[in-house]
Amino acid sequence: MSAVDTRARPPHDRRPDDDTGGPERIALLLPGQGAQRPAMAHGLYGTEPAFTEAVDEVLALLGAEGDRIRADWAADTPAVPLDHVSRAQPLLFAVDYALGRTLLARGLGPAALLGHSAGETAAAVLAGVLDLDDAVRLLAERIRLLAEAPPGGMLAVAANPGQVAHRLTDQVVIGAVNSPNQLLLAGPEPDLGTVAELLRADGLTCARAKATTGFHSPSVRAACAAQIPSFRAVTLRPPRIPIVSGYTARPLTDAEATDPVFWAMQPAEPVLFGAALDRLLADGPYHLVEAGPGQSLSALARRHPGVTRGGSRVTPLLAARPRGPEDDRAALRTAVERLAPAAGSTRDRSRFEARA
Amino acid sequence: MSVHTLIDLPELTRLLRECAGEEEGVDLDGDVLDTVFMELGYDSLALLQVVGIIQRDHGIELDEDAVAEAETPRALLDVVNSAARAERIAA
Repeated sequence: MSAVDTRARPPHDRRPDDDTGGPERIALLLPGQGAQRPAMAHGLYGTEPAFTEAVDEVLALLGAEGDRIRADWAADTPAVPLDHVSRAQPLLFAVDYALGRTLLARGLGPAALLGHSAGETAAAVLAGVLDLDDAVRLLAERIRLLAEAPPGGMLAVAANPGQVAHRLTDQVVIGAVNSPNQLLLAGPEPDLGTVAELLRADGLTCARAKATTGFHSPSVRAACAAQIPSFRAVTLRPPRIPIVSGYTARPLTDAEATDPVFWAMQPAEPVLFGAALDRLLADGPYHLVEAGPGQSLSALARRHPGVTRGGSRVTPLLAARPRGPEDDRAALRTAVERLAPAAGSTRDRSRFEARA
Repeated sequence: MSVHTLIDLPELTRLLRECAGEEEGVDLDGDVLDTVFMELGYDSLALLQVVGIIQRDHGIELDEDAVAEAETPRALLDVVNSAARAERIAA
């Protein structure tokens, strides 16, 4: 924690770096591509002030496209499918970032951040590495570039890397290692479909992840490299809140945080979420809070030894399968009740209870 | 276990443990019959793996949508055991 400039943190986040007697520390888990679903967190939009304000900031920065994204968010028949990069990526970023802001507004500031895939960009903004307007502008450009990448996808496989090694090709690669028994393969079509059939014949369990692009594979490398000049043109700062990077499985160094190539190439690099979670929980215990749609990262965390035996806890902010807008509000209410006594001061708590 | 039950809760927990592996042991000893799988740390892929083993070991076909809808051990046991009964009647 010595790398963190505590003077730069908001006052409510200032607390002793004391694992034993201090309050429980919050670590945010921010999901990426694959976690999106229709109307995700939409029940908080218009009812949760900090969330609404943050989403509106993001969508306003996207201009007319932002209005179209807002219209598709909870539409029965969206103009563009929500799994497409041009809908999934901006909405995931907006929801992850806005949920982080929602917690900050309640005095529940995180002590650490860990994003999965695109979730690391939301972490970067919450930690002050990137300004919001730069991040959104870069995201819009990234979406345009990725939309031109070859059609592809991602495949979840219940296996470890050794079990799939003989089926990988120069195009179909391991895009993410989520846990000792869960991988995401990535690549272009039809190559990915061929590999999926071979893995099923091997007796492995596979399921399509919700993506129409081969994120974290060579098929997006050129699109990412084309964005390096744009990343060079923005200001990158050391994180104010420690980020455990899903790409290095270590706390992000100041040199990495300010390296434009590191950020530009992330969608082409493998995600080491399992190892990053190991690294985070080695400094535990933490109260892990999933700030994004669904509970995919919570499910991974719940079976991690740091949670089953190490004293860390898991609280998702949203339901696993919300059946309507009220489920979003109920899930957030329940989560804040679990978190408030842990991290909020007496004053923060009474303020929340007075509002509730 | 009644004559019409193919799999009971202890058998299902054994399979869940087997799939999670030794590194990732979730506590399944309590009353988990009505606990949502996600809260036990079992996501859709992990469940798909368990369901695949049940289908293979017992030679039955389970309806994919019904499996996807089953959020708890009780609901999944219902899907498995009613499919087994249906097959027995058909046979």
